[in-house]
Amino acid sequence: MDAEHIETAQHAVTTVTPSITALFGIILTLMIVSLAAEEKLHAKKSVIVGVFAIISLLLGSFLGIIPIGAVTVPGGHHIDMPVYIPGIDWKVIAIIVGSSVFVDVTSKSGLFTWIAIVLTKASKGDPVKLLWSYGLMTVIFSAVLNNVTAMIIVGSLTVVSLGKLGRSHQLLHFLLIEGLLTNIGGLLTLISSVPNIIVGGAAGISFVAFFIKAAPFVVVATAATIFMGAKMFKISALKTEEEKQEAVQLIAGFNENDGIESRAFFWFSTAMLIAFILTIATTSILPVVKDLGMGFVALAFATIMLIRYKAEADKFYKAVDWDLIGFFMGLFVVINVMEHAHVLDAIGKAVQFMIGEGETSFGAGVLLISSAVFSSVTDNIPLAAMLAKILVSLGTATDSTLWWSVVFGANLGGNLTPIGSASTLVAVTIMHKHKVPLSFAGFVVKALPFAIMQITLATIYVLVF
Amino acid sequence: MFLGMTQVDQFESIFRSALTDTYEYALPEVDSVLLVTDRNEKNVQDYLKDIQKFLSVLGTSVTWSVLNADDYKTTQDLLDRVDQENPDIICSYRNLKSKDWVFKHSLGSYLDVLIQRAKSPVLVLPHPDADYVHDHAMENTNKVMAITNHLSNDHQLINYALRFTQSNGSVFLSHIEDQMTFDRYVDIISKISAIDTDEAKEKISEQLLKEPAAYIESCKQTLLDNNSPVTVENIVMFGHHLSEYKKLVLDHKIDLLVMNAKDHDQLAMHGMAYPLAVELRQVPLLML
Repeated sequence: MDAEHIETAQHAVTTVTPSITALFGIILTLMIVSLAAEEKLHAKKSVIVGVFAIISLLLGSFLGIIPIGAVTVPGGHHIDMPVYIPGIDWKVIAIIVGSSVFVDVTSKSGLFTWIAIVLTKASKGDPVKLLWSYGLMTVIFSAVLNNVTAMIIVGSLTVVSLGKLGRSHQLLHFLLIEGLLTNIGGLLTLISSVPNIIVGGAAGISFVAFFIKAAPFVVVATAATIFMGAKMFKISALKTEEEKQEAVQLIAGFNENDGIESRAFFWFSTAMLIAFILTIATTSILPVVKDLGMGFVALAFATIMLIRYKAEADKFYKAVDWDLIGFFMGLFVVINVMEHAHVLDAIGKAVQFMIGEGETSFGAGVLLISSAVFSSVTDNIPLAAMLAKILVSLGTATDSTLWWSVVFGANLGGNLTPIGSASTLVAVTIMHKHKVPLSFAGFVVKALPFAIMQITLATIYVLVF
Repeated sequence: MFLGMTQVDQFESIFRSALTDTYEYALPEVDSVLLVTDRNEKNVQDYLKDIQKFLSVLGTSVTWSVLNADDYKTTQDLLDRVDQENPDIICSYRNLKSKDWVFKHSLGSYLDVLIQRAKSPVLVLPHPDADYVHDHAMENTNKVMAITNHLSNDHQLINYALRFTQSNGSVFLSHIEDQMTFDRYVDIISKISAIDTDEAKEKISEQLLKEPAAYIESCKQTLLDNNSPVTVENIVMFGHHLSEYKKLVLDHKIDLLVMNAKDHDQLAMHGMAYPLAVELRQVPLLML
């Protein structure tokens, strides 16, 4: 359901005064600051946003600025439901839940570990080939799965393989490069990251259109990042025949078939993954399916995969990131209230002032860079959600460059700091787990040249193409 | 698509499990053998012939030398003489220069020190006067068993076992996980509410047996690749070390047992080696 279209006020809504807007603006600012200080607060995102959702709803209801009563659904029926339900974007929730379960069941087939080990063996244990293999794998897994999952799979394999090769001293740099690449891979498709889903959905960009626009940048940025990483961190190829033979022998100990319990399920999962990607890619043109949307596709594929584990399906529900779901639901409630409090209008005016009237190169560049800076210090999901609403309210066309400014800025901003994205945070966590810690400042110093290169490339790309 | 942070450890486990140790084929060279006895020169010749026949697998080009009772007076003397000879293998038996071999409770000080201090592996033979030797023992080395409680990556142990196995013979690669230790850990796990006891028991036992089994498979493959005439048999199981090995020796009519004895972390012999050497007196033991 789209809250904008079905929500109707059933009672008179109080006129929103500038002081009410200012009050809710302060609440929104406090929420964003709290999200940025998530680690310091030792609180999960879902709890932080949940608290602000409660405050916003109570205050909004008390001040009479939110519409309470029945909502009208397509077909003209009226349904009584709490005000906070239609405010949530259930399409996104369905995609996340369906995809989580689908990936978790598919991973049980050993498919992802098989791909990861085959690529490791193909590198023959050579550090440079290993860096390229893992780099490309990170980007592809980030695109097909999601950034966090890609970082977990490739990061875990990096720990084990570098340990076996006696190259644990290079672990930090491998993990750092992989972490930075997750945010590039996350740009490749419409469902690769949450900002893509939100912005793409709001703009009405199809899966294929998104891919065609993003792919060239992803290819160039990936190659540049890996090349730069190898040079900066002095990751060089093996020189002597002896070294090469020893590396081949060590890496030969990997058995790519180890995690495959059933060959039939392995091939079934492979076929289902291909079918899933194809169906998601063509959802907007498939008869019947296009009306049900990508969320339906994700949930349907998850259900089909669960048939194999029908007696223990509940175990796979644990794979769903309930913190992310809770965060999402709370966030959309807060944004919905902010809309009624005219806070988004005020921010929209500020954004319009910043980027200027109409669509200009200057405006698109400023929007991309400011989105990146904002994303580097706090979660990029609220940013994407707010800017998507604002751009919709400004009547931004589907083919506008501004949408891409938000997408590129929100994704790449995550590479400026370790807290900028969940996947770089996972990379840092793996570093700490394996006693190669990297401080906040240490991360910024090492990652900054990469982030500047990527954001500069993105700005040029968005403006030129 | 989205998965949680908790899966870092899960994927690391998957990759660690997929990474197995592979056997490295490199048979040791045995060009010289030193026989240490407590007999005099006159009556050692027949015994030497018996041993040469038993170790015919070493070939005819091996240089044999003998230390008799008169060649050493103390343990230090013996070690000095062994150092001088610097053999590839030392052959001896329990309770040298002592009548205590009738008691089945020790190795005797000479052998004890020899096993721990000498650089070369020691082949411990049944006492020449003993009447408890298995019928099949001391005839040949057609069936050799390598024993350990941690088989994976123990290339040297397997290479020695293969070197001493006759052409077309069988080498038994055995790995016995101690049932009592495992039960003790399961008992502790059963008291931790955060761990599912049945699942932990099943998964841990599977993994404990999987690693040595995979290593033995890699041995089989390597021997096939090297056209080795020796057949590899695998024995991977839970049990009580001593009783299981006694039973396996009897059941399979093992001619020679190969085990690790030196422990660089301690002065005493490697954990399992001493009790096995004391009790398995009926067959020859090669102690590395």
